[in-house]
Amino acid sequence: MAQLLNDDIIKQIQEVFGGLKNPVHLMFFGSKHDCPYCDDTRQLVEEVVATSDLLSVTVYDMESDGDLAAKYHVDKAPGLVIAAKEGEQITDFGVRLSGIPSGHEFTSLIQDIILVSNRDSGLNPQTRAFLKGLDKPILLQVFVTPT
Amino acid sequence: MAMESPMIQAEMVEATEFPELSMRHNVSGVPQTTINDGKAHVVGAVPEQNLLAEIQRLVAK
Repeated sequence: MAQLLNDDIIKQIQEVFGGLKNPVHLMFFGSKHDCPYCDDTRQLVEEVVATSDLLSVTVYDMESDGDLAAKYHVDKAPGLVIAAKEGEQITDFGVRLSGIPSGHEFTSLIQDIILVSNRDSGLNPQTRAFLKGLDKPILLQVFVTPT
Repeated sequence: MAMESPMIQAEMVEATEFPELSMRHNVSGVPQTTINDGKAHVVGAVPEQNLLAEIQRLVAK
């Protein structure tokens, strides 16, 4: 398949990723069934990961790696977990993308990687204090479209 | 927000690829933020304070 990201875009990503602080590990979950965007998403993610030594990716299948998908609460394909990595230790912050991150949402992928790499949410202190004390599960789903 | 608490999962969903879920949550404009599978919805870009207030309202119930 031809490259999805052109040289200009790759250069821009490399400039932005020059400021990355810590390793980020992406877990891609695809499916062989009814997933028209899985191949493109996987390729896109692999091309992004190739732009920085601090990034890595493992590719999983929703069906054959079902236990892992369940563990990480991934129920859609393509699904992407954006996690922190220290040595071999992967720390899940609960950050997920479902569907292809193209168009505007490509920026969200890049920003999510930067946030997780910096290990800093950027939220104000009052918000952080409240969230630290949360004792009930919260699922935030942000619906977006690529255009 | 997910980064600040292990209790929070934040998922960006490409609405056109998952039409059943989008229809179930009546997604008509994007972005739309849905909390806990429909317990609360916020349409449009949502400021940090407002989203925090929605979460606080839900957990207080």
